[in-house]
Amino acid sequence: MRLPIAAGLATGSVALTLYALFEGGAWFWAGVGTLLVTTTVASLASRFVLPKWAVPPVLLLAVAVFLSATFAKEETWAWVIPTKASLLRVGELLAEGFADIQHYAAPVPAEPGVSLLTATGIGLIAILVDLFAVRLRRAALAGLPLLGLFTVPAAVLTEPVAWPAFVIAAIGYVGLLVADGRERLSHWGRTVLVRRSRMAGADKADSGRLALTGKRIGATAITLAIVVPALIPALSPDPLFGFGVGNGSGRGGGSIGIPDAIAKLSGQLSQQQNATVLTYTSADDLPRYLRIYSLDVFDGTKWTVSPLRGRPEDRVSEGPLPPPPGLGPGIATKQVEGRINVSEDIDSLRFLPLPYPAVQVDADGDWRADQASRMVFSTRDEAAGLEYRVVVDEPRLSRAQLDVMGTATPEARYLALPEQLDPKIAAMAKRVTSQGVTQYQKAVLLQEWFTKNGGFTYSLQTKGSGGDALSRFILTDRTGYCEQFASAMAVMARMVGIPARVSIGYTGGTKIGNSWSVRTHDAHAWPELYFEGAGWLSFEPTPTGAAGQGTARVPDYALPLAPETTPSAGPSTGSVSDDDDTTGAHAPIRRNPRDFDRDLGAVPVTVDPGPPMWAKIAMGVAAVLLLALIPAGVRLVVRRRRGALTRRGNTGRGGVEPAIRAAWAELCDTLTDLGMSREQSESPRALARRLTETYEFDAETGNAITSIATAEERMRYAASPPSAGPGAADLARVRRALAAAVSRKSRTRAVLAPRSTLLRLRSAGTRVLDGFDRLEGIRFRPLGRGGAGTRMGTR
Amino acid sequence: MAVTPDVAPDAGNRLEDLVDTAHRIGRAIKSVIEGKADVIRLTLTVLLAEGHLLIEDVPGVGKTMLAKALARSIDCPVRRVQFTPDLLPSDITGVSAYNQQTREFEFKPGPVFANIVVGDEINRASPKTQSALLECMEEHQVTVDGVTYALESPFMVIATQNPIEMEGTYPLPEAQRDRFTAKIAMGYPEPTAELEMLDVHGAAQPLGKLEPVATTAEVRALIEAVRAVYVSQAVKKYAVDMVTATRRSPDLRLGASPRATLHLVRAARAHAALSGRDYVIPDDLQDLAVPVLAHRLLPSLEAQGQRRHPEQVVAELVRRVPVPDTN
Repeated sequence: MRLPIAAGLATGSVALTLYALFEGGAWFWAGVGTLLVTTTVASLASRFVLPKWAVPPVLLLAVAVFLSATFAKEETWAWVIPTKASLLRVGELLAEGFADIQHYAAPVPAEPGVSLLTATGIGLIAILVDLFAVRLRRAALAGLPLLGLFTVPAAVLTEPVAWPAFVIAAIGYVGLLVADGRERLSHWGRTVLVRRSRMAGADKADSGRLALTGKRIGATAITLAIVVPALIPALSPDPLFGFGVGNGSGRGGGSIGIPDAIAKLSGQLSQQQNATVLTYTSADDLPRYLRIYSLDVFDGTKWTVSPLRGRPEDRVSEGPLPPPPGLGPGIATKQVEGRINVSEDIDSLRFLPLPYPAVQVDADGDWRADQASRMVFSTRDEAAGLEYRVVVDEPRLSRAQLDVMGTATPEARYLALPEQLDPKIAAMAKRVTSQGVTQYQKAVLLQEWFTKNGGFTYSLQTKGSGGDALSRFILTDRTGYCEQFASAMAVMARMVGIPARVSIGYTGGTKIGNSWSVRTHDAHAWPELYFEGAGWLSFEPTPTGAAGQGTARVPDYALPLAPETTPSAGPSTGSVSDDDDTTGAHAPIRRNPRDFDRDLGAVPVTVDPGPPMWAKIAMGVAAVLLLALIPAGVRLVVRRRRGALTRRGNTGRGGVEPAIRAAWAELCDTLTDLGMSREQSESPRALARRLTETYEFDAETGNAITSIATAEERMRYAASPPSAGPGAADLARVRRALAAAVSRKSRTRAVLAPRSTLLRLRSAGTRVLDGFDRLEGIRFRPLGRGGAGTRMGTR
Repeated sequence: MAVTPDVAPDAGNRLEDLVDTAHRIGRAIKSVIEGKADVIRLTLTVLLAEGHLLIEDVPGVGKTMLAKALARSIDCPVRRVQFTPDLLPSDITGVSAYNQQTREFEFKPGPVFANIVVGDEINRASPKTQSALLECMEEHQVTVDGVTYALESPFMVIATQNPIEMEGTYPLPEAQRDRFTAKIAMGYPEPTAELEMLDVHGAAQPLGKLEPVATTAEVRALIEAVRAVYVSQAVKKYAVDMVTATRRSPDLRLGASPRATLHLVRAARAHAALSGRDYVIPDDLQDLAVPVLAHRLLPSLEAQGQRRHPEQVVAELVRRVPVPDTN
């Protein structure tokens, strides 16, 4: 009787993890009903010993009857018996459910069709679990259908299943295994007892101990499954495991999905309501583009973000960020501080809008910077309502400087393009930039082509952003909004060999009062191009002003006919005329007195990809080793403390009693560490005698050990405690003698993995488990008794 | 060594006297009985614990000699009763005889009125007679014709019994065995000890030369000193644990009685005092567990089938009961 119920409970607990897929609870009750039906029928089938092969069809029938009676009540005969009409209705509902699921993204509203579909699925899983666990007695195998059920929410949702749900599901499965083990054991029959005992009346094997062990193993496994990934931060955010972005703190297993940035952008631009997204102030009171996402992967259809890396040490709270990638040593920069105040009312945003390149961000919460893209994101905090300080370190570049800069890409992905792109686009890119001599000139020409010469018009009406749409935009339509412009320029820049990526965020907005206000309509996309020595620079291909994106503005260095804007503090421009940045021929110049901690050497700064793989593995191994050495450390500390106590007791500064206790405890722990046995019925005196005899200690050592033992003995059993404790020298002598009596291996183990500490750890663990068992006992015992009572009553 | 000696200063003199006197008695007995140091020590322990001793062994190993030697070394009256099937209770306790001159009944004290009573082959007498002796043992008094006569202290019964001859014997019932503080087996002497014995005993009767080395008053003082030996709460609990273990052991049909606990602790005090210690340690109890407890226990049928004697069972239990840590 027990096993079918355990199977039903296991299915139910795993089915609970579906909660995130639905809106509303209708599916839940349908699922519970189905499970009740299957469990009841399976229990009856076990009770009346139905042949094994017959059970699944019977269960299937029961589920069908239940579902038709629940979802097509009007068509059934006497509200129960399915008729042709009711079956047709169920079929229709199923089709509706399928359609709904195709139509909606999770969470799906729990319409009858969806609920029916879910209940059917749960019913089928329950039948499979019953077949494996109860009929075929392969409880472990029943984990497969359960796992199938569990993967549904995991596969559909970007958010992982919450850990409590995982715990419930795991407990359900463990419960099934335990019930199976119990049942198996009970088939062995009654325990044969050698002597009379109070338990002789029991007619079943005592499986309590077995169940206890099972529960303990299960509990430990589940705890490890939750705690270990949480404790190892490298597991989730590290691309080694392909997990994408994770938080590494294990709180609810958070991870963030990058919303379809582009889709969101067009929505924001065309919104009727122009709400304020954020306001900011800056020290020089100039507007700056605020970047949220940096999209660096183009698949021919859309731009996406390559996996982010948010290691714990990348937290912006850890201090200033490293210099932006690609910034050469000889480049003057300007540091500007600003404060950004994000509105309370924005949608869920887990990325900070920041000017590029931010070198310092002071924001409350766990915000981490992706080193390559300089996106700052969080897996648990939201940007809404946040006020933060940011320091931006803008390079001040002259055209002459830019002209000589190469475009060696920091990573190949910034030049990668899909193969199926229209070759005409590449031809067009070549043609447009043919006038340019340097890469910088080509970039400016490209921008100019979009804004002036190409005959592009700005319109929000344009739809689509696929590869086809791209070629249409560049070659024929030439109508679009910032997204098309940014995307097209980034693609064409890549075609002429300039690393490029697309930024999504906001323009500088408009000045209202003392601060700059950024609204929904300021949402913007723009390309960033990479120049070796300058880093990533924004360009503005989108038409600005009234006929374009109103608040967009072309940066100074990208203006086609701008005069030489060599800054007054410009460093020796001549020295940058050659490309030997890497040689460090010219001494790096302190560019700005307000510069914090830019200790770039002469080497151009490249993206820090984090420590190499072998270093990570070595670090992991070192961490494990350190963890493993904790008991040794604890033991060492304890030993030192006891030594001090013993010494103090002797010099009369401390009490004699703690000194004696410490000496004795140290002796016992030393024995345990060295693997020497100590019987619990052995008195201190007997122990000292045995050790002296077994290891043939010399007289002095024998006296030393006797003095320790006698002191302890007097302390325990005499009317008055001794007036003086054993000497620290005695203790040290005994320790030495004992260590000399065992092999080198045992000695090493005693130091590195002291058994006394490990045993204490184990007993602490046992106490915790005992506590859990007691909790369980409190809950279940009265129920059991009540059940027995009613059974007695009915007889 | 920074450890104070075992003996606390205030009780020092008394204990030293005790150890000294006990050693004197021990040496005296030893001059008669070769190579039986533990038996002699245990006998002294029982004497100081105001208990009674049951010696069970084959004939001719010196049971009676031990009893007599002990009695001789203390300057005190010793009586020996040879138990036979026709022995009557009054033969032990004494009788009231009519004195024709005074025309009154006069009490003639039996052999039990002595400091040390040697009951030879106690299992040969009828249960009635045995119980007469046992009453005296327990209550240290004799009641004849409604008059109670107190027995002198120290009073110690050393009973011997022969385990081989079973014909015509009345084995002591459990309840009566329980009254003996300890049961020991003499065991055969070591070959060297036996050789020496031949030399000594061959020439003359050494018992005859044995001079008393202590007076009854001294022995009484010793007993007083033993009573003052300190037993910590932890050790008391250990004694109870040990006795409880015998009651729970599946190998035993009958566990030890509360009287056994009492005897065990009392004997442990004497044992500690003989070692010159003014406090009892678990080792004392461990040393005494087998002689004090084993003879009171009945093995279960299974244990009997496996030929496991109560002595073995007790020894195992001693190894299993954990030593107490603190008070």
